[in-house]
Amino acid sequence: MEIKCYIQASAAISPQQSFEGSYEPQFLPLTERNLLRVQEPGYAGFIPPNSLRRMSRLLKMGLTTALQCLRNANSPVPGAIITGTGRGSLQDTEKFLHDIRTYEETALNPTPFIQSTYNSVNGLIALQQQCTDYNNTFVHRGFSFEHALLDSLLQIQEGAESVLTGGFDEMTIEHFFIKSRIGYWKSVLTQPAEMLASGTPGAIAGEGATFFLIGTNPAAVELKGMQMLYKPDAAQVTESLTQFLVKHGVESEAIDLFVSGRSGDVRFDHFYDIAEGSLPASIAKVHFKQFCGEYDTAAAFGMWTATQELLSGRHKTALLYNHFYGEQHTFILLKQH
Amino acid sequence: MAERVLITGMGMVSAIGNNVEENFRSLRAQRTGIGYAQYVDTIHAGKLPVGEVKCSSEELAEMAGLTDATGFTRTTLLGLVAMQEALFSAGINDARDTPTAFINASTVGGMCDTEKIYFDILDPEKEGTFLQLIDTLDCADCTQRIADRVGFTTYVTTISTACSSSANALMYGARLIRAGLVERAVCGGTEALTRFTINGFNSLKNIDKRHCMPFDKDRNGLNLGEGAAYLVLESESFAQRRKARPMAELSGWCNTNEAFHPTSPSPEGDGAFEAMRKALAMSGRTVADVQYINVHGTATLNNDVSEGRALERLFGDDVPSFSSTKPFTGHTLAAAGAIEAIYSVLSINRQMIWPNLNFTGRMEELRISPETRLLEASPVQNVVSNSFGFGGNNASLVISKYGN
Repeated sequence: MEIKCYIQASAAISPQQSFEGSYEPQFLPLTERNLLRVQEPGYAGFIPPNSLRRMSRLLKMGLTTALQCLRNANSPVPGAIITGTGRGSLQDTEKFLHDIRTYEETALNPTPFIQSTYNSVNGLIALQQQCTDYNNTFVHRGFSFEHALLDSLLQIQEGAESVLTGGFDEMTIEHFFIKSRIGYWKSVLTQPAEMLASGTPGAIAGEGATFFLIGTNPAAVELKGMQMLYKPDAAQVTESLTQFLVKHGVESEAIDLFVSGRSGDVRFDHFYDIAEGSLPASIAKVHFKQFCGEYDTAAAFGMWTATQELLSGRHKTALLYNHFYGEQHTFILLKQH
Repeated sequence: MAERVLITGMGMVSAIGNNVEENFRSLRAQRTGIGYAQYVDTIHAGKLPVGEVKCSSEELAEMAGLTDATGFTRTTLLGLVAMQEALFSAGINDARDTPTAFINASTVGGMCDTEKIYFDILDPEKEGTFLQLIDTLDCADCTQRIADRVGFTTYVTTISTACSSSANALMYGARLIRAGLVERAVCGGTEALTRFTINGFNSLKNIDKRHCMPFDKDRNGLNLGEGAAYLVLESESFAQRRKARPMAELSGWCNTNEAFHPTSPSPEGDGAFEAMRKALAMSGRTVADVQYINVHGTATLNNDVSEGRALERLFGDDVPSFSSTKPFTGHTLAAAGAIEAIYSVLSINRQMIWPNLNFTGRMEELRISPETRLLEASPVQNVVSNSFGFGGNNASLVISKYGN
């Protein structure tokens, strides 16, 4: 028998005021480039000062979000820690690449190398919370957070009471430039409020860290299920969505919130049109990338947005659909308990 | 009762051979693949020995059957060569015939090639075909290129938990099968030598300038290596239905985190102990059922003390034959878990135990020493294979003779 999974707590560092207080998404103005940077909280209450000095930005963001999630859950030691990150600590990877060149491969400081390791945030969470159970890190673009989530659901079916699941990615100025060279971002400065109607290729870049504690103890939001599709065509998206809803016993009319990863990229937005075509026309929609930008693990912020909406009581059943540049597609179904 | 997970195919490339049979022959001949680098571009090439695959990227592309290898990094090419052998040995002509998960592992993706052009990419004045390599920098690139080439579409993902990455890929694939989500998963990892990782481990003072000496009193660090390995995992019922030839059973596994230090294991080997203990418990075997342990055995000062203590604690006075095969291949990071899983299967199927090369004397901290001889006609039924990594990630696999 399938064991039911609930979202017991969550936390998010994002371009929005999402880390504490009530969440009211804003269209943030962009002035220089198409990049939404996160609003970093004070880290002092989470990480001891001597550790904080050594840690790079993504490590601080990831660890602090994880700790805040566990605090929100009143549950310091999860049964497993599973995360996804498409890029890991870019700042450290870049620093080590530059150091190798500057110092001609001699007398290098190992810290950026260690911190560039994709599972370094996971190790830090385990260390700080003394969690010696299962620990895994997925690094696969738009299937990074998604496989972390699937692995978490498997862990729970296998007997774990709770799993700390997260996704995190940062964007550096250097990497923003690199990706701009192959068309990842819109070439003309575009405001988030105008993103969806821009009619141009590329997305607005973003970043964030999002964590959930998923477990078997009943809570307000149930995680009903998820489905991934690798490089599907339009027909496969429609067909899979139908099968996905049937599998979880949900009529499309019962879905009252569509949380969409639409990014305003004219090359790939048609997938969202297809999904919307399978749902009632009157359905409420949230396009979360207007608030967090596009990044490998943006769907984690999408799932956090859906969770907030269900907790507010405004909606009962939410369907999340996201894809990353048309290649990795995911459906996630959440329901008010 | 959950389904058994069988190993029905294997493919690999390493410093000691371009396929499984060549690897077997080198193990049996006690022939190391460690030497000075020919292909990776670093000032350390003539000073720090490595386990480099003895083929240029062009030769690998030819072996992989590619007429146009544009955008295929050495990481991807190594992976493709190993993948083609794995599918062939499992008797899979077309991977599309059955929904198949592909769980790959990588520590630095296509860094081997992107590090050469990184500063050209950063220069807005420079244009050219090198821009096509930008997306090969991440770990997903090699996975997707391999998936697209052979036709995996069901679950496609990449794991990166440092040196335990491909052991975790095998575990995850096995769990997808046991959960009933797929009947087949191809799992493993690929790793190419890079200036980035050589300098990383060198800056940690973890590299020996000599050939590495695992579990030796004079050991002084590891040698890095490169390679790729994949194992085809199938549910027992599916393997029986398609009359596949089971090579072994993946009977137990465990992933634990030591929560001790970002880059060092605990002196008593708590994480290693727990990983081995729980993997054996899951397999339904006792310590007395284990004939061989393919240890992580990097030859770093810390690993071998910690892992050795864990062996002594778990197996007591009867520690079975154990050896590190890293003096053959070097430490292949994300590929190591899968390469050594194949050596474990070979140990069972060829009834042999691989020698721990370069051993001169027992470590002061331990009562035990590794097996230094090649043992033939050895009745091996169950092998424990260890992979431990940065971030406290410990993974142990139990591989058993099928039908045992």
